[in-house]
Amino acid sequence: MSPEIVNSETALERAGSASAVNRECMLGLAFVAPIVVVMGLLVFGPVLVTLWDSLHRVDPMRAGTPFIGLDNYRNLMSDARVLHAWLNTLAYVVFAVVLETLGGLGAALLLNRITWGRRWLLAAVVLPWALPPVVNAIVWSWIYNPSHGVLNSVLFSTGVIGSYHVWFNDRTTALLLVALVHVWRMLPLTAVILLAALQSIPAELYQAARLDGAGPLRLFSKVTLPLISGGLAIALSQSTVFAFNLFDEAWILNGSSLDTRSVLVQVYMSAFQDLHFSYGMALSVLVMFASLVISLVYVLRVYRETRYD
Amino acid sequence: MKRNMLVAAVAAIVLCAALSASAQTAAPLTGETITVLLPPWATLPKDMTDRFTAQTGIKLSLQTLGWDEIRTKIITASIAGSAPADVTEVDWSWVGQFGMSGWYAPLNSMVDAPMAKDLPEAAIFTYDRKLIGIPYNNDFRLLIFNRQQLSAAGIAQPPKTLAELLADAKAIKAKGIVKYPLALPLSATEGTSTSWFLLTKAFGGDLFDNNLKPLFTSPDSAGYKALAWEIDALKDGLIDPAATGLKDVEVQELFKNGQASFDVAGWAGNLSVYTDASKSKVASAAEGALMPTVSGKTRTFGLPEAVGVPAASTHKAAAEAFIRWFVAPENQMESYTALGNLPTRTSVLKSLDDSGKLASGKALLAQAAVVEPLFRQGTPTWYPQFSSAVSAAINQAAKGQLSVDAAIRQIAAQAAEAQAQ
Repeated sequence: MSPEIVNSETALERAGSASAVNRECMLGLAFVAPIVVVMGLLVFGPVLVTLWDSLHRVDPMRAGTPFIGLDNYRNLMSDARVLHAWLNTLAYVVFAVVLETLGGLGAALLLNRITWGRRWLLAAVVLPWALPPVVNAIVWSWIYNPSHGVLNSVLFSTGVIGSYHVWFNDRTTALLLVALVHVWRMLPLTAVILLAALQSIPAELYQAARLDGAGPLRLFSKVTLPLISGGLAIALSQSTVFAFNLFDEAWILNGSSLDTRSVLVQVYMSAFQDLHFSYGMALSVLVMFASLVISLVYVLRVYRETRYD
Repeated sequence: MKRNMLVAAVAAIVLCAALSASAQTAAPLTGETITVLLPPWATLPKDMTDRFTAQTGIKLSLQTLGWDEIRTKIITASIAGSAPADVTEVDWSWVGQFGMSGWYAPLNSMVDAPMAKDLPEAAIFTYDRKLIGIPYNNDFRLLIFNRQQLSAAGIAQPPKTLAELLADAKAIKAKGIVKYPLALPLSATEGTSTSWFLLTKAFGGDLFDNNLKPLFTSPDSAGYKALAWEIDALKDGLIDPAATGLKDVEVQELFKNGQASFDVAGWAGNLSVYTDASKSKVASAAEGALMPTVSGKTRTFGLPEAVGVPAASTHKAAAEAFIRWFVAPENQMESYTALGNLPTRTSVLKSLDDSGKLASGKALLAQAAVVEPLFRQGTPTWYPQFSSAVSAAINQAAKGQLSVDAAIRQIAAQAAEAQAQ
């Protein structure tokens, strides 16, 4: 075979292979295009517009929208109400993430062991998550009601408290109670994510570890935890993001009170009550970055510390 | 024969055309549908809305939202350049913001001189000479009391001064008639702010001077004394400690259930609800009285509500037809008996009183005669921010987190900040 023929066959093969790659690329792009368009229009576009507007003065009470640089961000740093709202939100994040993760993991481990009637139990566990957040908060506002709420009634009748309490008159208690309502609603999601991760662990791994003499704690730390690390990272991230975005519970249970005002409530007050739109936008941008950064830390740390590969 | 038929056909066509034109003149808006966005207390019963449709041919899509939520919906829709509805609630406290932003169509042409005279509160809804809402609810504050509970405590007449009010409340509590005689909201909500504004007037002062400088910062000022009065009443056990979490409408439930003797900042229109046995447990005992003051000469201020047409509405003519119908005398009367919205027309108020349908009519009319605006210059654009700062500070003071002095200083600082922005 002459070198010319060999070269032309190789060129044909290369052309065929390149065309297949091109076809696959096009197919891949076609599959990805809808989500890119949707995310671009509904997520990245609005984020960019919000970022841009936060650098301007957007206020329907004043003419024009002049560029003001980082003024909104500078003013946020010295706004006492905003700082108060940040502290409250950080407290919500700590309460929510710790309680949802521990509670969710416990619930998932229990559900994973139950074989009879698991689907019914799972449906019952998921119920609070299925309720609209406003409905959930209203139900809890009745429970916390100082005059005829179940909480006072139960604690009083069991002798835990000597008189009825106005629960929201104490800031720490109020923060904890608002966070508890949020945890009640979001814990099922953590449990379901972790249950799915638990059910993907092959039973042979546990059998092998037991043959090697591993006890329950070692099984959990050396088999279960590393293998649910992906689910755990997702659960931690969603807990954090949802806790940063806490609004309904704080608003329904205690209105705009400074004691329980979350950052998102402050965004609402700045933008829709005071009509300082770009000021509210700047604050919402900070909330977004804060929750993203903390979620990223979780994901990186959980992966690094619990994965073998 | 042919000629006769031709004449008959032409006559028939002319007649049909004339009838069609006449029908269009009678109901040019027939078939249009308008959306109307109102709070729960203004949501008209179905028989009224059906009658409106029968009379005008305009169909109504009535939407009910909470008062706060209506404002949010108006703002978000208006910013986006769309109409939140064809007719919406316009509260007196929104006039500064909504007037300045130009979100509402002027309705000056709807109100002629006699009607303007009959609707004195229309002036509150005028911004830069543009009338942006026609008032439908003549809200002002007065004292509402439980006659039976006062009698049980040996009190023959409702109090005329704030000192008498406190003494009566203490007497009622001492006799164990009710645990917390004074119903006043202390939560971080609008009702808490407006109650303090009312008490400031009752102590003989005003919130701001003509240049909008605060008049409540000095310990001997009316605003300072009003806040101290509220906190002292709370500490003395005259106000339910749970009031720190109660809105005005929730505090009204306490009065309706007989758990409080005085609705201190009572809504004028609520007398019809309190005296309705199907809605209140104290129907036979609830009465209105002039707002007590430190001097004994009553004062109060108006918080009327109106309906307006967003500038972006595409059914302005039909929307105006609805408003004209809504504030017509016969419908104001029905709205009062069905919902407790006190008529804004002076003539209707008088007519209701003459026919004996106005609960505590004598007190209501006497109080209505002395209604003052909260801001003589018109509601400023920064009012919502100021009001929010007031309710948050009072809430903190009521929880013991701030002293009266610190709360007053915080309100003054945030008022200055709101004005500066």
